[in-house]
Amino acid sequence: MPKLYTFLKYFFVILWACFVIAPFLWAISTSFKDFNSVTGGATYIPWLQFEPTLDGWSVLFKPGSQGGINIIGPYFNSIFVTLTASLISIVLGTLAAYALSRYTFKAGFVKNNDITFFFISQRIMPPVVLSIPFFLFLSTLGLLDSLAGLILVYIVLLMPIAVWIMVDFFNRVPKEIDETALIDGCNPFQAFFKVVLPNSVPGMLVAGLFCIIFGWIDFFFAFILTFTKVQLLPVKIVALNSSITPWWSLSAAALVSVAPLIIVAFIVERYLSKGNLSGALK
Amino acid sequence: MNFKHKYVFLLPGLIVLIGILIFPIIFTVRLSLSGWNSFNPGLDFIGFKNYVRLFTDDPRFWQSFFRLSFLAITTVFLQYVIGFALAHMVWKDIKFKRFFRVLFLIPMMTTPVIMTVIWRTFFHESLGPLNDFLSIFGVQPPWLSSPSLAKVSIIVVEVWQWTSFMFLLMLAGLLSLPKEPFLAAAVDGASPFKKFIYVTFPLMAPISIGAIVIRLIEASKIMDTVFVLTSGGPGTSTETSSFFIFIKGLREFQMGYAATASFTYLIIMIISLTIIVKVLTKVLMRE
Amino acid sequence: MKLKTLISALASVLLIGSQVAHADKWGDQFPHIAATGDIPGMCSYESMSKKDYSGRTLTINTHAIPVMGEPTALHAEQFEKLTGAKVEVTHTPAGDLYSKAMVPFQAGQAPYDIVFGFSNFINDWKRYLAPVPQEYVDQMEGVSASHKAIASWDGVMYQYPVDGDRHYLKYRKDVIDNPEMQAKYKADTGNELKVPTTWKEYGEMASYFNGWDWDGDGEPEYGSAEVMKKDDLMYAAFYSRSVAYAKNPSTPGGFFFDLETMEPLINNPGFVEALTDWVDAVNYVPPGGINFGLGDEINSFGGGQTLFSFSWDDAFVAAMQPDSPISNQVGAAQLPGADRVWNRENGMWDAKSNQAPFFVWGWAVGVAGKSDNKDVAFDYLCFFANGANHQADIGIGRFGVNPFMEEDFKADVWTQIGWDKDIAQSYVETLADMEKSTNRVFPLRVPGTFEFNSALATGTAKALAGQLSPQAALDEVYAEWVAILERVGADNVRDAYAVGVKMEDNEL
Repeated sequence: MPKLYTFLKYFFVILWACFVIAPFLWAISTSFKDFNSVTGGATYIPWLQFEPTLDGWSVLFKPGSQGGINIIGPYFNSIFVTLTASLISIVLGTLAAYALSRYTFKAGFVKNNDITFFFISQRIMPPVVLSIPFFLFLSTLGLLDSLAGLILVYIVLLMPIAVWIMVDFFNRVPKEIDETALIDGCNPFQAFFKVVLPNSVPGMLVAGLFCIIFGWIDFFFAFILTFTKVQLLPVKIVALNSSITPWWSLSAAALVSVAPLIIVAFIVERYLSKGNLSGALK
Repeated sequence: MNFKHKYVFLLPGLIVLIGILIFPIIFTVRLSLSGWNSFNPGLDFIGFKNYVRLFTDDPRFWQSFFRLSFLAITTVFLQYVIGFALAHMVWKDIKFKRFFRVLFLIPMMTTPVIMTVIWRTFFHESLGPLNDFLSIFGVQPPWLSSPSLAKVSIIVVEVWQWTSFMFLLMLAGLLSLPKEPFLAAAVDGASPFKKFIYVTFPLMAPISIGAIVIRLIEASKIMDTVFVLTSGGPGTSTETSSFFIFIKGLREFQMGYAATASFTYLIIMIISLTIIVKVLTKVLMRE
Repeated sequence: MKLKTLISALASVLLIGSQVAHADKWGDQFPHIAATGDIPGMCSYESMSKKDYSGRTLTINTHAIPVMGEPTALHAEQFEKLTGAKVEVTHTPAGDLYSKAMVPFQAGQAPYDIVFGFSNFINDWKRYLAPVPQEYVDQMEGVSASHKAIASWDGVMYQYPVDGDRHYLKYRKDVIDNPEMQAKYKADTGNELKVPTTWKEYGEMASYFNGWDWDGDGEPEYGSAEVMKKDDLMYAAFYSRSVAYAKNPSTPGGFFFDLETMEPLINNPGFVEALTDWVDAVNYVPPGGINFGLGDEINSFGGGQTLFSFSWDDAFVAAMQPDSPISNQVGAAQLPGADRVWNRENGMWDAKSNQAPFFVWGWAVGVAGKSDNKDVAFDYLCFFANGANHQADIGIGRFGVNPFMEEDFKADVWTQIGWDKDIAQSYVETLADMEKSTNRVFPLRVPGTFEFNSALATGTAKALAGQLSPQAALDEVYAEWVAILERVGADNVRDAYAVGVKMEDNEL
C-alpha cells in the first residue's frame, strides 16, 4: 500500500511536471525559429530540425524603427508599478484584515464577513466596463498615462487579494499572542507591530506573491489607461501581434516576462520550506 | 478592546477602496441606463430599455452565462482537486521537493494574454506540436475547431495556468497545520487514508472554501484565454459573459448596453457566490 | 558636330553626376531611400529639413510591429532627425486600434496627435478628426480618385492616404499553370484546371487539391486558407465571397441595405448562396482552418500549405519573400465571380456572369481635431507618404504599405525587388483592373459599422460551425441589423450609407 502510493505519487508529480514544462519547452524552441521554420510544420530541435536564429530575441531589444519593441523601459515600469502597488496593497490590506479578524464590526445587517466579502467582491466586475469610468476618473485627476495613475488602479485590484489572504491568515494566528502582549502593557498598535506583525511575515509573503503576480500579468488596465509616456511590459509585448502573429518573438517575450517572477517563486518557496509558517502558528 | 483602534486598522484600506471605486460603480449604473454607443456618446437617459433588451431579447448573453458557469465550475473543481493533490504529494518527503514546488508555481506567473498565444500555437492543428505528437497514434483532434473540443482546450489552458494558485494556497495551508492532531492520529494507528479524511481535510476546509471562492471569482472573468484561443468560436460555442461584455463594449462600443450586462452579471455573481459560500461551508465544514 | 556631341555628352555626365550626388546626400544619411534618393516634392527630405519643429512633441498610435508599425516608427525617426521634433510612437494590435483612440475621443481628449485605423472607421471618427488642409490634398498627384473619395466624407478629406488595400485572389502557379496537374485534373474531374473565375470553380479545385501532398514536400497540402475566425476581420472575408452573387450592376441603390427603405439585404438569396459556399469551404481548409485569423491565413498560404487564398496583400507578399519556399510560384487574380447574380428588384437570379471587386481598403490615418500639433502632424503624414519613402516602403513586404499611387501599378517596381516578370505583371494588372471596374463594392461606413459587422461575424460563424443553416444564420443577422438600425436611427445610417452607394453607383 505505501509502495503503491509512493509510485503513484511520483508518477503523478512527474506527469504534472511534464505538463507544466511542455509549453515552456515549446516556447524555448519556437523562440529560435523564423517564419519558414514555423510554417514548415512542428519541429523541436535546433540545428537538427531547423536552422536557429536569434531574430525572435533581438526584436525585444531593437527600437521600433528597426522593427523591434525595445522592452527595457517597459520592463522597469512594470517592476516599479507592480512592486509599489503591491506594497501599498499589502500594508493597507494587512491592517484591514487584522481589524476584520480581531474586532467585531456591526452596522445594521453588515457584519465582519460582509465587509470581507465587500473587499473580495471588487474583483467580480469584468474589467471591460470599468475601463471608461476609470479613464474618466484618472482623467479628472490628471493621472492618465502616468505611473501614479496605474498604481492607484492596481491598488484597487490588489488590495482585495491581500485582505482576503490576510484575514484567513490572522484567523489562524492564535489570539493568545495579542492578548499576552496586551497584558504585558502594550497598546493595541504596539501589540500589532511588535508581536503580531513579525509573526505574520509568511502570510504577507504569500499575499505579496499573489499581489505581484496579479499586478504583473494585468494587461487590460495598463492598455486602456496609458498612451505614450508610460508603457508596461504586457502592453508592449502585445504590440508584436501584427497581421502575422510572430510565434518566435512572442515566445521569447513570454519567457522574458515570466523570468523575474521565478525568482520571487524561489524566495516564497524558501520561506515555506523553512517552516516559518508552521513556526508562527504554534 | 478599545473601540477606536479597530477603525484605525480597518478604515485606511476601506476608504481607499471605496474612494477609488465609488465613482466607477455609480458611473456604471448610470451608464447602464443610457444609450451610449459609438454614434451617440453621452449619458442620455433611456430608462430600463437596456435591461428590457437584456432580459427579453438577448439569448446570447444568457447562453454565454451558462457556458461560463459550466467552464468556471469545471475548471475550479479540477484546479482544486489537482492543486490539493499536488500540494499533498510535495508536502512531505519526496525527492527534488523544492524543484517540484517552484515548478508548480510558475504557470500562474505567465501573462494570460501572452501565454495563450503560445498555447494557440501548441494546439495549432497542422503546425503545432500536440497534433504532431498525436499523429504517432494516427489521430488529429480538432482542438480549436470543434465546438466541444474547443471547450476542452480552454479548460486545459485554464487548469494549466491556475492550478498553481490552488497549489500554493493548499501547500501553505498544509505547512501551517498544527502537529498535535496528527500525533494523536498516529497514536491511534490510523491509516494514511483515514488520516487524510478525518484529520487533514477538516483542518483544510476553511482555506479550501476561501480558495475556491476567490478562484470562482477569477475564473468567471475568463476572457484572454477565450479571446486568443477561439474568439468565442467556433460559432458561439466558447463565448463567456466577460467575452460577450468585451465584444459589446470595446468592439461594438455599445457602452450603455455593456454596462447593463456587467451590472446584471455583478448582481447574479454576488447572489450565487453568497449561496455557494453557504453550501460549501455546510458541506466541507459539516456545520 | 563633334564639339556638340562632346558637350551634350559632358552635359549628360554632369546631369547624371548631379543626380547621383543628390541621391547620395539624403540616401547616404537615410539608407532606407538609398535606391532612389530624395524625390522632390512638398514633403521631400529636402523640404522637411528646412522646417524647424524642435521643442514640439508628436504622439502617434499606430499598428503593431511590423505591418504599418515599423514604417511609422522608421519615418518618425527620420522626421525627428530632419525637423528636430520629438515623435513618440505606440503600437497597438489591429483589433484594438479603434477602442484605443475611441475611448479618449469620447472622453473629449486627444492623447494622440495621429491615430491609425481602418478606412471604415471614418464615420465614427470623422467628428474627432481634423480635415486634411487643402494644400496637402493638392499635392497628392498620383493618388487615384477612388482612393481620395474613400478617404473623404462629403468632399472633405479626413484620412491621409498612406496605403491601399484590396482583397484579391492568390493562387499557386506551380499547380494551376502546371501541365501535369492540368492533365491530371482534367482526367479526374473532366474540367479544365485554370485560374478560377467563379466561386464554384474555386471550391471544386480547392476540394480536389485538399488533403494530399501535391508539392512533394512530405506534408499534405490543402485547398484554401481564409479568415474564418470570428474576429474583427471575418466580415471582410464574407463580403469578398458575397459580392459576386449579391452586387448586381443592374440594381443600383445599395448592396448592404436598400437605400430607399433601409431594409437590410443581408439575408437575400445572393448572400445565402455565398454563405452556403463558405460553409462548404470548411471542408477544404487546413485542419483548424475554421479558427484561422488573418495571421494564420498568412502563415498557411505564405508557408506553402494551401492552393488558394483571398484577402489582403500580406499572404501574397509573404509568399513572395526571397527566402520563402514558394517564392515566385504564386499568382494574383481578381476575386472569383459567379455565373448568376441575385436581382433584388424582380426577386430572381439573373443568369449572367458577374464579378465585383470588394474595395475593403485598409490602413487609414487621421489627425485628431483637438491636437495642438496639427501642423507637425500633417507634415509628418505627408513626409510618410512622400515619393522616396513610398517607393522604398512598398518594396518591403513586412511594412504592409500597398500600392495606391498611379506609378505603383507598374511591373518594374516589383521586378526590381526580385519578382518574376509575369507575376509582377499579373499583380499590377489585377490591382489596376479593380480601379477600372464599374461594379465595385465599398465597405460599410455608417454609424454603428462595428455593430453591423460584429452581428454578421456572429451569424456567419454560427453557420460555419454548423450551429445554424446559412439561411437561418443570415435571418438572424437580418434581425440584428434591424435592431441596430432602430437603435442608431435608420435615417442616420441612410445619410451615411448614401455616400458609399454614390461611389458604388459610379456617381462620385
